[in-house]
Amino acid sequence: MRACSVAERAGVSSYAIVSTGFLKQARAIARAVGISSAWIAEYPGVVPNDSAEVVERKVLEHVLPSLLQGFATPAEALQEVAEPGPSDVVFKGALDEVQEHFTERLWTDGLPIVPPTQNRVEAFLRWTDRDALEVIGVLPPEQREATVWNVAVNGVMAGCRPEYFPILLAAVEAIADPEFRLEDAGATPGWEPLIILSGPLSKRLHFNSEGGALRIGRQANSSIGRFLRLYMRNVAGLRTPPGDTDKAAIGMNFNVVLAENEDAVTRIGWPPFRVDRGFSMADDVVTVQSVVAISPHIYSGGSSALEHIEPIVRFMEGVMGPVSPVAITYRRSHPLIVMSPSVAQAFADGGWDKDAIRSYLFEHLTIDAGWVERYPLHASGASTSLATMVRERGLPAHYAESDDPRRRLPILIRPEWTSIVLAGEPGRNQCRVYVQQHEQGAPVSKKVRLAADAEVLRAPAVQEPEASTEATPTLHR
Amino acid sequence: MACRCTALDFARANARGIDVSEEPQYEVVWPLGRSTTRAVAPNTRGADPQRLKVGFVWDYLFKGDQMFATIGQALRHRFPGVELVDYSAFGNIHGHDERAVVAALPERLRSEGVDAVIVGVGA
Repeated sequence: MRACSVAERAGVSSYAIVSTGFLKQARAIARAVGISSAWIAEYPGVVPNDSAEVVERKVLEHVLPSLLQGFATPAEALQEVAEPGPSDVVFKGALDEVQEHFTERLWTDGLPIVPPTQNRVEAFLRWTDRDALEVIGVLPPEQREATVWNVAVNGVMAGCRPEYFPILLAAVEAIADPEFRLEDAGATPGWEPLIILSGPLSKRLHFNSEGGALRIGRQANSSIGRFLRLYMRNVAGLRTPPGDTDKAAIGMNFNVVLAENEDAVTRIGWPPFRVDRGFSMADDVVTVQSVVAISPHIYSGGSSALEHIEPIVRFMEGVMGPVSPVAITYRRSHPLIVMSPSVAQAFADGGWDKDAIRSYLFEHLTIDAGWVERYPLHASGASTSLATMVRERGLPAHYAESDDPRRRLPILIRPEWTSIVLAGEPGRNQCRVYVQQHEQGAPVSKKVRLAADAEVLRAPAVQEPEASTEATPTLHR
Repeated sequence: MACRCTALDFARANARGIDVSEEPQYEVVWPLGRSTTRAVAPNTRGADPQRLKVGFVWDYLFKGDQMFATIGQALRHRFPGVELVDYSAFGNIHGHDERAVVAALPERLRSEGVDAVIVGVGA
């Protein structure tokens, strides 16, 4: 529908061919981009499952008649609908009544929300110098403004603490960045964004970066992870059924925030993730990237770096290999390795740093050319030869230097695009690989901006408390 | 008898079963953002297909090439005066350079003199 929108604005009538399962999404996006007048011709069924003969029959019996009807049908103008202002009270009620009101309007993620009252929202705003009405960006597919105000509203709803607000703002800046390609977040692979936090704030705000680092449980990691998906539903407009715009075929749950283990990376002598991303040691940096698959737990043992890299290669090839044809087509791939400090120490003891790991993986992760050519049949209905992709779609020539389907092609596109973040149980030799969805959800990093007088967030972190039944104290402003 | 209640019906029934008269009341604000959508004035349809110049725009997925070939053949058969512009004139709207291709689309449509465009395939 993006191409239809461009055509309509150029004064050209547009007619889209959309299969049955995507009609509602197409109409919703057409409304969102202001072209409800675009004609949508239905292809009945699931295209990749239809033979050439079935495709021809369906086109002649269904698609073509619809297109001809569209040619002859005058277009209707979009009716604009009045909506509330940003700080308007839209409902008053008891807790359960608020839940129902929000659920009926698809303003929740299925879990109870904290009622976003004005005083709760204002408590968040005290943690930034930015104007509440500042527009951070316009988010597809619904083309709504992301503002400092509505970040706070959704932060309240997700159960975040007010002092998390600067991190929430950085996360929204990241997804609003065109590099992130939020417009692809409703696609059928159903990838899920992952926030990675690197910097001193991680300890000050009591993020978990050790055992169970990516499991729900710690308020900071969990509530901020929930916030981002809730924000994508409410402001970007990506909603699963009964909504129309999120077409994840199966999907994944929201990811809790991955907080880097600052002490471990410092002790080992490796640069922290924010430095890998081009920031300084003093910065707090939020990176958001897509995750479309997660490897099993990867144990690696032995006393040499080569012993530890072998299982990582094997598992990484297993989880990335099957989807690598798409990464090769789009020439983007940003896998993330979450590495226990004990594994990182083993590499460091063997004289390997992050670049050495990246280079080894780039050289040794391969996939057979035959799979690269066959996989598009399954994903999108037609296989494609590498020679065709080189000739017609801009793939570099070396991909077609031979037509031997057994030849091995590199899975990774660039060695420096593999991220390594230290987290997880330090006492266990385990890693996991997080597969990123090529250009969709490419990693975007933003510096966390603290209010000028937020000294409490700049103070040295206190020692992590031992397990306690007492609630974590709230930072007041 | 099979229950035809939806999940929301149960939620409402449950809420009505709870006395909320003593509970705090929350005045809540809107969680969405201002829509920036501005409607595009609809373009004229209803022209005689015999005099149309129709372009095909493809995302290089979901057998669009086959669909376009079938549609093109049928259009020429029914409307001998129709002109068609192949998808190769417009580029891949879902490839690695999608944004550049889509941004260039208006100029390409104008230079080809296209009256209508068939875009596929969403699936």
